[in-house]
Amino acid sequence: MNPHKLAFTRVLPASELPPNAKKPLSIEGKAILLCNVNGQLHAISNVCSHNDKPLERGRLGNGWIACPTHGARFDLATGNALCLPATKPIATYEVRVVEDWIEVLV
Amino acid sequence: MNTRTLIPGIKNASSEPAKGEQRCPGAPSTQDIVASDKVRAPGWVRSESYQFLGDQDISKDRYIDPAFARLEMDTLWKKTWQFACREEHIPEVGDYHVYDIGRFSFIVTRVAPTEIRAYYNACLHRGTKLRASGTEGNTDEFKCSFHGWSWKLDGSHQETVCHWDFPHVDPKDFSLPQARVERLGGFVFINMDLSAPTLAEYLGPEIKAHFDAWKLENRYIYLHVAKRLPCNWKLAIEAFMEAYHVIETHPQVAVSNGDANSQYDVYGEHVNRFISPLGVLSPHLYGKHTEEDILKQFTLGDSGALGGGERSLGKNGSARQVMADMFRGMFEKATNTDLSGVSDSELLDCYSYTVFPNTFLFPGISLPMVYRFRPDPSDHRKCLYEVLFMRPVPVDGSRPMPAEPIRLRDDQSFCEAAGMDAGFGAILDQDTDNLVLQQEGLEASAKPGITLGNYQEIRVRHFELAIEKYVKPKA
Repeated sequence: MNPHKLAFTRVLPASELPPNAKKPLSIEGKAILLCNVNGQLHAISNVCSHNDKPLERGRLGNGWIACPTHGARFDLATGNALCLPATKPIATYEVRVVEDWIEVLV
Repeated sequence: MNTRTLIPGIKNASSEPAKGEQRCPGAPSTQDIVASDKVRAPGWVRSESYQFLGDQDISKDRYIDPAFARLEMDTLWKKTWQFACREEHIPEVGDYHVYDIGRFSFIVTRVAPTEIRAYYNACLHRGTKLRASGTEGNTDEFKCSFHGWSWKLDGSHQETVCHWDFPHVDPKDFSLPQARVERLGGFVFINMDLSAPTLAEYLGPEIKAHFDAWKLENRYIYLHVAKRLPCNWKLAIEAFMEAYHVIETHPQVAVSNGDANSQYDVYGEHVNRFISPLGVLSPHLYGKHTEEDILKQFTLGDSGALGGGERSLGKNGSARQVMADMFRGMFEKATNTDLSGVSDSELLDCYSYTVFPNTFLFPGISLPMVYRFRPDPSDHRKCLYEVLFMRPVPVDGSRPMPAEPIRLRDDQSFCEAAGMDAGFGAILDQDTDNLVLQQEGLEASAKPGITLGNYQEIRVRHFELAIEKYVKPKA
């Protein structure tokens, strides 16, 4: 087993991601978007599976994000596409808070 | 003031009551019940507006003929004000919500803090929907996913990809077509008819005053359940327009519901209502139950989710008063507000208003729903039913995000929707079971029409008269 695959990366003080905020990050070369929906944290790929556009300006809803370019929506927990024009999921990453820091498993 | 009106000149010579004048014998009226309450009801509750509108059968064709459904789509749906979304669905500039009715689809979007527009949801190039149906989001441009033509938030044409190939496309002529938009009580209404009356004119001054009194803009959607029903959309709507069916369909409710003595009113052409008093025994059951039974069997509706306390009648107490006091305490605690001035009737009773063609508003406190019904464009024997429960916004002024719709499969019970009060879900299941039998029965029947009661089913007739007005306009 590759131990790096199990290593969480400390990325941001939790206080810098208040409810309903987003934060684009690059972690190990991957474009990641951190989202806080009513206190629930999510880490997802920042790239829309439909057209490769960034999701970071997308609207956060109750458990979803909508790509601002063509309106594809994704489930923040599973990454599944919820509507056309996307049909493929986006990657999601495990996220946790340790000692008031947000950590992501990439 | 009692504003009850009857068409004059239809009384017969034998001094029998005029048609529509009969009320449930031996039972107090809804107004009698409300007048006995400890905390007085507001004026919009203490009024009546019944009108006899005829007693001819209604042709069953309008429920079973697909051609009638097509006619409705080409006439009434294009000319009526429809609830498209709530303002909290699109709180920020750039937020949008896609509303579909039949084959039509609209992007309802906030283009400025105080301005909302509704664009026909189709690219002006080759027609692709600019946003998928049933979705929401935020954007600063509407870009087609096919060839990339785009429009600014204000609807003006932004880009024709490879404009050199479209010298015949003048951007000035390629703004997104719009439907009309009006807002009332936190609801966003749209109308495809650019020459339609204003929403205030459509509702009429009396109902506009009711809306203003309710302050529904201070509520938010905390539960939203959607399910396809196995019947024509009008049958579904009509099933919720009367309490006449309670004793047979919902016997568990009748013990604490004044069903046969509910009040029915009509207002202009587009709005009707009933007031169905709760915490009182059904006149069908007089002599068969005690006040204790009424208290014990009271259906809690939404308030079940808030958790009820012990129910005790006390000395000389009435079930209605005990429930009103209990609800007042429960809702005061849950919403941290002072409800001492809110009437017992508003806390308890079921107020059901229909805004033609497809929206029900229940402005009461214990039963705070909105219903919306839409025809299934591919099957006139199916429709989409949505029930939205609304609660007061928190006292800290924050606006929770509206609940995501829970979309039930056809075979699921309403009770399976997370957050649905079990008693209320069971009632909706009972209604749904009737509707499939009614749709099939109308198709099987040798009788060409349906027969309606003059009072308890006046809302059905009033609704069908409005259908007729739009589908068969006078020459």
